[in-house]
Amino acid sequence: MDMSRRALLKVIVLGDIGVGKTSLMNQYVYKKFSQQYKSTIGADFVTKELQIDDKLVTLQIWDTAGQERFQSLGSAFYRGADCCVLVYDVNIQKSFETLNNWHEEFVKQAADPADPGAFPFILFGNKIDVDGGSSRVVSEKKAREWCASRGDIPYFETSAKEGYNVHEAFLCVAKMALEGEHEHEQEHEQEHDIYFQGISETVSEVEQRGGCAC
Amino acid sequence: MLKNGKLKLPDKLGGLVSGFDDKEMKNGGSDPVLESGEELEIMEPNGIELGHKENAYEFDDLVNDTDVDNEDAFRTRKRPDKDGSGQVSVMEVIAADEKRSDVEYELSQKEINLEKLRRIASMGLPDGGGLRATAWKLLLGYLSPSHDLWEKELTENRQKYAMLKEELLLSPSEYTRVKEDAMISAELSGEHDDAGPLKRQGISHGDHPLSIVKASAWHHYFKHTEIAEQIDRDLLRTHPDMKFFSGESSFSKKNRVNAEADSFSCFVRLLSDSVDHFCQQLDNSPVGILSTLSRLAELLKENDEELWKHLEFTTKVKPQFYAFRWITLLLTQEFNFQSILRIWDSLLSNPFGIQDMLLRICCAMLLCMKSRLLSGDFAANLRLLQHYPDINIEHLLRVAQDLSADTSSYSLSL
Repeated sequence: MDMSRRALLKVIVLGDIGVGKTSLMNQYVYKKFSQQYKSTIGADFVTKELQIDDKLVTLQIWDTAGQERFQSLGSAFYRGADCCVLVYDVNIQKSFETLNNWHEEFVKQAADPADPGAFPFILFGNKIDVDGGSSRVVSEKKAREWCASRGDIPYFETSAKEGYNVHEAFLCVAKMALEGEHEHEQEHEQEHDIYFQGISETVSEVEQRGGCAC
Repeated sequence: MLKNGKLKLPDKLGGLVSGFDDKEMKNGGSDPVLESGEELEIMEPNGIELGHKENAYEFDDLVNDTDVDNEDAFRTRKRPDKDGSGQVSVMEVIAADEKRSDVEYELSQKEINLEKLRRIASMGLPDGGGLRATAWKLLLGYLSPSHDLWEKELTENRQKYAMLKEELLLSPSEYTRVKEDAMISAELSGEHDDAGPLKRQGISHGDHPLSIVKASAWHHYFKHTEIAEQIDRDLLRTHPDMKFFSGESSFSKKNRVNAEADSFSCFVRLLSDSVDHFCQQLDNSPVGILSTLSRLAELLKENDEELWKHLEFTTKVKPQFYAFRWITLLLTQEFNFQSILRIWDSLLSNPFGIQDMLLRICCAMLLCMKSRLLSGDFAANLRLLQHYPDINIEHLLRVAQDLSADTSSYSLSL
């Protein structure tokens, strides 16, 4: 079992206000959903450990605020990201239309300027549970077309409330981030070192267990 | 205390709050003003408290469930000693009673001594009976220290708010109709129509609802309506259990309208010394939010260089990552509702302004978590500061008060 390399991956979640970014994270990390809405200010930070094949992965997820106001402050959060999750609400047309802005803004601020198309994005169409789907205004077909036009971005339809497809979607996030990480490993090495001091304790525990299991 | 010359509000809002002396309003008060004690009770948070608290706890549970670092071992709770608890609690009750009668006495004065009110409030105002609501309005300068002026001022201010709303939320055609009606009645009564500081431009003949011209009155109207709808949606989903917003309220419409006007003006005053934080164009200026965040770092460095170094360099937990929310929301997402009220008593009663005390409290929040922060890494520290644990608020406020701080750079000249 190859536990010699463990990965720390930084994921940014972007999208309009109220599309369910925080709920998706809470569902993924804590397996809970709350009706109570609390606007995210700046960015919330959570971590999630998971195993992909024989590799231990720590996702550092930055759940950002959807309000336009925070976009200029976003770059501090975007830096060093390994994957960007775009979220829209399938029941709100505008949240789909603004995906272009979120995509552009992120590319401008964080992606490798030499090859902006290479940065791993993923799209979640959330709240598919609402009214049993009858208030839906953006079709899956439309969403997939948009994804195709942006260089074949993977697409997931989710319901943070029901917990539908959330785990699968984030697993895809982790895999994509992991693949991308190999390519620009060196650039981020230093930055990751800083973060690694943090998780080294928990990781080594797991590592020992992993060793025993072999 | 907020009249510091730093008030940079859009003209309209400035006109609304900058005192009651600037423009005499016509058709003086047909609007019944309620006896302030009675009406103010509506805004007394006790009624709201339950729902909000429940939700706050619900969310805390949600987070704590999985947050498995041994919090209890590090818990910095410092409860006051309670040996011979019977005696202490009797004394506490007596002290609370004394405080209540102090505040009641002060608020019943014909001329209220703001200095004294500030001193009392900085130790925490008593809950219930609408005392806090009245005291906060005085501390914010929304009510003047002269009791006799309250009725007149409230009436005038509520009228100004109604006009501002009309200005912003009526559709251009409705607005024109209302204005025409007003002009006819003004002509009949021999007066001139004067919309005062809120006068809006008439609608030009080329203007229409589909106009995309920026100056179009219709364009503005749609923008404003969009914002108003967003606010309604946000209120509903943020406080689904708050009857006040849900429209099933048993309050009379008048009370609700008055409370809305009062809250608006208090809110404007509340943010008057930090309004620049909300202005994106000022983010990189000396008055913007980023400067305030660096001032927090400076304050920490001055008071505890070891902790500052650990946060700034060792773990690289930047103030942007946690204190942005602390500062812009005046700590309302970090504590339970009862604690927030107590903290705000201190914020509003600080003679050097809300922002001065706010930065002190933020710094104290870091100092009170020192041992945990020093043993934490980037992820643990960020999680801790984004989900600030329960703490003895009186202790926190004492630490904040006792900070050595060169506040000259950001204190407000009185």
